[in-house]
Amino acid sequence: MIWEVFRQEEAGDYHTHCGNVHAPDREMALLFAEIQHGRRKPTHSLWVAPKDEIGEVDEETANFGGTTDKSYRWAMTYQNIDAAAEEVADSEAEQAEADRRRRGD
Amino acid sequence: MATTDADLGSPGDLDEGEREAVEHLLYRLADDEFVLAERYTEWQVRAPTLESDLSLSNIAQDELGHARLWYDLLEDFGYSESDLVWERPPGEWRHATLSEVPFAEGDWADAVLRSYLYDVAEGIRLSALEESSYARIRDRVPKIRGEEGFHRDHAEGWLERLATDSGGLDRLQSALDRLFPHALALFAPTDPEIEDRIDDLGLRTASLSEMRGEWRSEVEPFLSELGLTVPDADRHTPHGRGGDHTGDWDDLHDDFTHTYRELGRTEARRIMVDPDEAES
Repeated sequence: MIWEVFRQEEAGDYHTHCGNVHAPDREMALLFAEIQHGRRKPTHSLWVAPKDEIGEVDEETANFGGTTDKSYRWAMTYQNIDAAAEEVADSEAEQAEADRRRRGD
Repeated sequence: MATTDADLGSPGDLDEGEREAVEHLLYRLADDEFVLAERYTEWQVRAPTLESDLSLSNIAQDELGHARLWYDLLEDFGYSESDLVWERPPGEWRHATLSEVPFAEGDWADAVLRSYLYDVAEGIRLSALEESSYARIRDRVPKIRGEEGFHRDHAEGWLERLATDSGGLDRLQSALDRLFPHALALFAPTDPEIEDRIDDLGLRTASLSEMRGEWRSEVEPFLSELGLTVPDADRHTPHGRGGDHTGDWDDLHDDFTHTYRELGRTEARRIMVDPDEAES
């Protein structure tokens, strides 16, 4: 039986897939994973999961990311737009002014 | 911890009798580890699966590392690595025969059972060194203990699974019948008078017979639980501790010193830093 192994380097990091081991059950899979993946590299935690239990969809059946330009979904796209930044700043200033008036300053 | 009154001090502080006792104890420890590791490496690329191959190689590597820590303490007395390993005559090695006897051809049951019998004994003898009156020994115990847990898990994991199958159980039983007398040799004295001195000086806080009792009370219930019959056997003769070994030892010794002799070496090249420097 094949178990996929995921290694986490430090607490809080993602567990990243790093290989697999053959083992008859979870306990032995963890032991083998420890030997093969936890002894040479800094390791905080290991996961093992039966290969059969992992669901998969690949690019043959799915249309990952679509076919049209979706760069507007990337935050980086808006990095250099000064006009937008000014509008936000103005809007914030207007709201602060309105708030001050409401409180009767 | 041992009281400072009973503390033997550093290598230079020992009198002749104390030094002889320390040396005997260190040879017991180092030779067991070194020779067993030599045997384990015979499984490389031959173990039943890739995973078991890597596991046993890792265990062998750990045991070699432990041997190195103990041989390093013998170097305190002026011996070189060549004196201790590559040029020491086979009749001066003090490991128990459990480490030296060959594995039955392709018998994985032998490998995991042997590892189990040995690692339980190693755990017990390390406990008896934790409060040794000789600081150089006691300071190295925690480092070695750290790696022993995994050896036990590995051996027990395999034993439990092999024993669930009747063919596996038969193989384990025949390995146990063969290995048990050699395992008892782990608790044999190098020299009875010197072993008493080791205890009297507090180098070790449990005697050989106490450790044998503890070992039996741990391995026997575990093995019975697996469905195995623990043989009613005596310790193997020769037991190895006094320098007397089985014929297989000469072959193994010849094997691992072969390259050193063939290359006409007179000293061993060091590629790793001294354990004392690595720790500081």
